[in-house]
Amino acid sequence: MSLLDRLGRGHLSDGQFARLWASGDRHPHLDACADCRARYAAFDGWLLDVGDTLRAEADEAFPAERLAVQQAQIARRLETLERPARVIVFPKAARAVISGHSHVRRWVTVAAAAGLIAGIGLGQVVPLRTVIKNQQAAVPNAHFNAPATVVRSNELTPATPSPGDDELLSEGFASPKVRNLSALDDMTPHARDYSVRAK
Amino acid sequence: MSATSPALLAAREADAAAASAVKAHQAAGELEDARERYTELVGRHQRRAARIAYHYLRDSAEADEAVQDAFVKAYQHLASFREELPFDVWFTRILINGCLDRIKARTRRERWLVPMAGTRRPAGPSDGVPTERDMTERVAAGGQSPEQALLGRERRQQIATALSTLPERQRSVFVLSHVEGRTSREVSALTGLNESTVRVHLFRAIRKLRALLANDTIAAAPGELKGKRRVTS
Repeated sequence: MSLLDRLGRGHLSDGQFARLWASGDRHPHLDACADCRARYAAFDGWLLDVGDTLRAEADEAFPAERLAVQQAQIARRLETLERPARVIVFPKAARAVISGHSHVRRWVTVAAAAGLIAGIGLGQVVPLRTVIKNQQAAVPNAHFNAPATVVRSNELTPATPSPGDDELLSEGFASPKVRNLSALDDMTPHARDYSVRAK
Repeated sequence: MSATSPALLAAREADAAAASAVKAHQAAGELEDARERYTELVGRHQRRAARIAYHYLRDSAEADEAVQDAFVKAYQHLASFREELPFDVWFTRILINGCLDRIKARTRRERWLVPMAGTRRPAGPSDGVPTERDMTERVAAGGQSPEQALLGRERRQQIATALSTLPERQRSVFVLSHVEGRTSREVSALTGLNESTVRVHLFRAIRKLRALLANDTIAAAPGELKGKRRVTS
């Protein structure tokens, strides 16, 4: 049947079938025309087939096993939602660095800062540069006035007086203070004897 | 277009009862019971949700994620669910919004990607050919010969391609009303479109699909659908 025949006899087109199908209405021509009724039934069947095919395609992509896994994953995610987030502490160093409980560290910081401030303040009050300049000026004069040997001797002289040679050789210094060692001392030759002989 | 059947009404009542119970458990701090009760709802709507997400996203892995996200989101916001509205409508709206967000994100991502020569993304919303992964996931139905399985697969592919060429709204309306069997009113509630606009979109979607699949249809059933091509616009 040609298009002209169909239009001439008022047959329904696919567009009209689509409109009827979408709206759910019933066209009066369908009751009158067996040809259009058959075509509409075929159209309906084709549309149902499309729907079935699309459903089957989705169902193949999601078999029952996959849906079971999906359900388990949803349950796990819901369970995770209710647990508070766990913060994992970074090992060792992070605790020491971040820790704010170290009073010693805090006091050291405060003391260092106080020292710095006091130093700066003192530096502002006392004319340190003048003092240093005066000292530098005084030290070369002293060196110039005093002989170098005297300075050297002063530097080498020990603070406590050491015993002289004669004292070391005297009887009182050389004789043993412990009684038990006297016999041994008698047997031993003394340096003082040689020095007396030499004299 | 199917009307609301008694079975559907009964299912909705059961949904409403389960949703109320979950809300009550959540409010009482009985979270384990709430989760357990919610699992019922998940089991009841999971298959349908997977279908919808799959037809939107055309990628089974992404559809899987979208479904999971939608269920988790629905659980979190169940306190804002009003019992006057059917749970499936409320939930499907969450799911569709999630799918649309994913499509937008994918489009943004793909804008920066240069396709390699000889490869194309086969399962995007603008291209309905299934991905290689999808193809491997599909198995021939039991009892079919290899030829039948191959023909069936080709037919699915053609329909999917035709569906993916539809504008987004037409595709949504067609999937929801025809594949999921929703009424115009429900589709209107789901998509936020006017009921008459839903009908117009559905009509246009069907007409376009018919035109796109005409060759295939005639080849499949020459006697049954003879002369269709001449009439379709």
